[in-house]
Amino acid sequence: MAHIPDGVLSLPVAAAGWAGAVAMAGVALRRLEEERIPETAILAAVFFTVSLVAVPVGPSSVHLLLSALMGLMIGPLVTVAVMVGLALQLLLFGFGGLTSFGVNTVNIALPGVVAALVLAGPVARAAPGRAALLAGIAGAVSVLATGGGVALALALSSGDYVPSARVVVVTYLPLAAAEALVTGFAIGFLKRVKPDALMGATP
Amino acid sequence: MIRRLILALALVLAATAPAAAHRLKLFATVEDGVITGYAFFIGGGRPQGAEIVIRDAAGREAHRTTTDAEGGFAWRPPAPGDFTVTVDARDGHVATAAIGPTRFAAIPTPAAPAPASPESPANSGAPANSGAPANSGAAAIEQAVDRAVARQIRPLLEACDAAEGRIRFNDVVGGIGMIVGLGGMALWFAGRRGKRR
Repeated sequence: MAHIPDGVLSLPVAAAGWAGAVAMAGVALRRLEEERIPETAILAAVFFTVSLVAVPVGPSSVHLLLSALMGLMIGPLVTVAVMVGLALQLLLFGFGGLTSFGVNTVNIALPGVVAALVLAGPVARAAPGRAALLAGIAGAVSVLATGGGVALALALSSGDYVPSARVVVVTYLPLAAAEALVTGFAIGFLKRVKPDALMGATP
Repeated sequence: MIRRLILALALVLAATAPAAAHRLKLFATVEDGVITGYAFFIGGGRPQGAEIVIRDAAGREAHRTTTDAEGGFAWRPPAPGDFTVTVDARDGHVATAAIGPTRFAAIPTPAAPAPASPESPANSGAPANSGAPANSGAAAIEQAVDRAVARQIRPLLEACDAAEGRIRFNDVVGGIGMIVGLGGMALWFAGRRGKRR
């Protein structure tokens, strides 16, 4: 669902996606700190592999995105992790496409970046239970935001492949619930055993 | 510690489900003049109720249907020709397959000489000419051969389509290795920059 293939998006949408992705990566790389490099690489590897665990749902098949989890851990660098993961998925598995690469990057990474900007501080200050709850909400909302981004990109390109409301409800709501659970548990766990792995903890 | 834990998680994910994946594909073939096939997700799952649109060479919509419980579809075109089959799961997953006119070749040729009743030469009351029985006999053989070949090569075509998009464990491990290498390179650059300062 988040891997839009080649030949579906119109040229202006694809170009805008590329521009957005490059701008986001540029901003992230400018603030790259040495200590965050290993974490970014590991999360890129997790993002790269997690899409291989896909569950068929009705007319489609879904997998976790983990953008909120990545955002809360590495902040704006989530763009770099997503870019690397998507590039390797494209080269090795043929997921997505070269022209749609920018749009896919923005759709997946932007909700994570926004989650980091909005919630990194509150999550870092909150108690583990509350942090898990906040992270869970961030996970669910980021999945829905990715779905909204995909729908918007397709709608702006042409009317042919606009997602139908029924399919989106059937596929995205369970995925948002699963993403909320995974993100919530992961952040709650990190908060307890290694709070400085979270982004807001070391400003 | 936590980094090792996450890495272990990634490796477990990669090891347990190297086959499951996330890309819609379409298998389409011609059997007896019927365009048939199914949509599938690489590694597992068939989309149910996904939209199938078949367009002709001019891009006009010739047929529209939805996939059944097994992700399958079938449609008999009025005449052989260039067709493009598109499956759309209605959430951004789209796949297409092309069917060329040559795939139909064996069926219409016998129909051409005897357009009135090509499939029942025995029942046709008035044989048009003396060559008709021999013609329809050869046509029947041709049809039977065509059917047999289609039946035999179908698994081959399916295997081809499946192999084309299969996720290989080597690719997964290679990708992770690539990421580790990129991380190492980034660290090296960062270290060099730090030294210069």
